[in-house]
Amino acid sequence: MSVEIPASGEVADRLAAIGALRHLADRLEDTAVEEAMRTGWSWPQVAEALGVTRQAVYKKHAQRLIAAGVTLRRRSG
Amino acid sequence: MSTVDHYLNHILTTAADEARTDGTTTIEAHHLLLAIARDGSPALTAAGLDHTTIRTALDHEFTTSLAAAGVHLAGALPLPTTPPTGSPQLGTTARTALERGLATARRKRDCTPAHLLLGILLTPVGTVPRALDLAGIDRTALTDAVRRETTDDH
Repeated sequence: MSVEIPASGEVADRLAAIGALRHLADRLEDTAVEEAMRTGWSWPQVAEALGVTRQAVYKKHAQRLIAAGVTLRRRSG
Repeated sequence: MSTVDHYLNHILTTAADEARTDGTTTIEAHHLLLAIARDGSPALTAAGLDHTTIRTALDHEFTTSLAAAGVHLAGALPLPTTPPTGSPQLGTTARTALERGLATARRKRDCTPAHLLLGILLTPVGTVPRALDLAGIDRTALTDAVRRETTDDH
């Protein structure tokens, strides 16, 4: 993935870009959080790395990772 | 439960699967379109659109929109190894498309699969019209064809 910031563009394209970037960020977050938890990161570490609260990251990802059989460290870890 | 309710339930279930494949539990308008295409639609088929071509058009729209922000994907988007869990929910674009579709029928019980597709095609801006435009689809002609389907049924 390479990033270059274009000087300008149609507003419709720039609005669509925001939706696409959000989708991309969500996908990158899903895979990165899963990899972190599979390799022994704790919830507080992942939360701090993302700049969100432990509760937020737990609520967003715990159910999916538990369903996938990922061994999760304790939330206080 | 009426026929259209059964169809709507079926489409929403399929659309939820499409959303999960996309890594989300939120059903958006383009997931409804994919679901309708998977189920089969004469108007979409006549326009040369099936599930695969629509998926390709949506992927193209995604990379084109990212490029507008200067982001170029080299290779495929990383796929989560686990699909999201949790109940599917209707996103804003899907809700609006369904409302538009229902509004094209005189009464809810007059609503047919074609009305639901029409609601999606009447979306003026956003992912679906951008994807169809980029794929070179004549949206006006397609919308007219679907509108004719809605009147043919009655």
